[in-house]
Amino acid sequence: MEGTEKSQPAGQIEEELSRLFAAYREACPDPEPDPSFMPRLWQRIEAERSWGRELRRLTEVLVAAAAALSLFMGISLSRREAPVSFYTNTYIEVLAANYAPDAPLDAEALAAEQEYNR
Amino acid sequence: MLVDFELVKRAREGDHAAFTELVHAYRKRILGTIARLIGRPEDVEDVAQEVLLRLYFSLDQLRTEEVFEPWLYRLTVNAAYDYLRRQRRRGEARMADLSEQQVVLADAAAGSRVDQEEQRRRQLRETVQALLANVSEQDRILLVLKEIEGLSLKELEKIYRVNENALKVRLFRARQRVLKALAAAQAATARSRAG
Repeated sequence: MEGTEKSQPAGQIEEELSRLFAAYREACPDPEPDPSFMPRLWQRIEAERSWGRELRRLTEVLVAAAAALSLFMGISLSRREAPVSFYTNTYIEVLAANYAPDAPLDAEALAAEQEYNR
Repeated sequence: MLVDFELVKRAREGDHAAFTELVHAYRKRILGTIARLIGRPEDVEDVAQEVLLRLYFSLDQLRTEEVFEPWLYRLTVNAAYDYLRRQRRRGEARMADLSEQQVVLADAAAGSRVDQEEQRRRQLRETVQALLANVSEQDRILLVLKEIEGLSLKELEKIYRVNENALKVRLFRARQRVLKALAAAQAATARSRAG
């Protein structure tokens, strides 16, 4: 195979390929379109357009539903009463109040200390 | 240009009659280009319809009327490329077609009235398609546009939006691969004749 390939001059194969391409061009002329070509094309265009319209309609419905839901949630959240707060002070404030130097000592601890001193 | 810019402009603005006129002007050329790109006459109309469908829905994206033809070629190339890729993926489909062709050839051999000229054309189409199967789908399309459709490098540059030198290199490599395949096929034929 190698030998045969080498025996064929490169220029000759080039020419052969060009000849083949030219013959192929002639063997594949521009075909005449089928009479149903245009009606089929318009059918496909219409099908795509109606699908597009359907998709747009669905998108609009979804957007409207999302907007309505957002509005409803916004209104319901704004109308909701503020939560009852048990803790008005922050944790730090509570700690500071418990360990303040002038805070009264626990009565039981005071009694225990007095007992010990006696 | 097969039509004037005014018609393209009208079609771009949504004028259905203008679009129909545009299709009438270009459909034969599109069908021919696709036929030579894909090499399967039975699928040519479907691919052409895909091109025109894409054209219809993308015409409004066309920047200017002057670039209409390269744009249309690009749509054609893309649709042919998608088709060829699908075909490559469906390897088994080709096998089915092959058996169908074999049946046709057997019928011809059995003496049915298959036109000899048509048979010669089919054989030629198959030979060129087999040679082009040695390069990638992109290179095959590029090679067909240049060597068979006869487009100039300048035209290809507009279609592909690629530098002319890059196209030359790509074309050269693709042609070399096809030449190599042709040399191998010729060698095989010579061997079988000798044997």
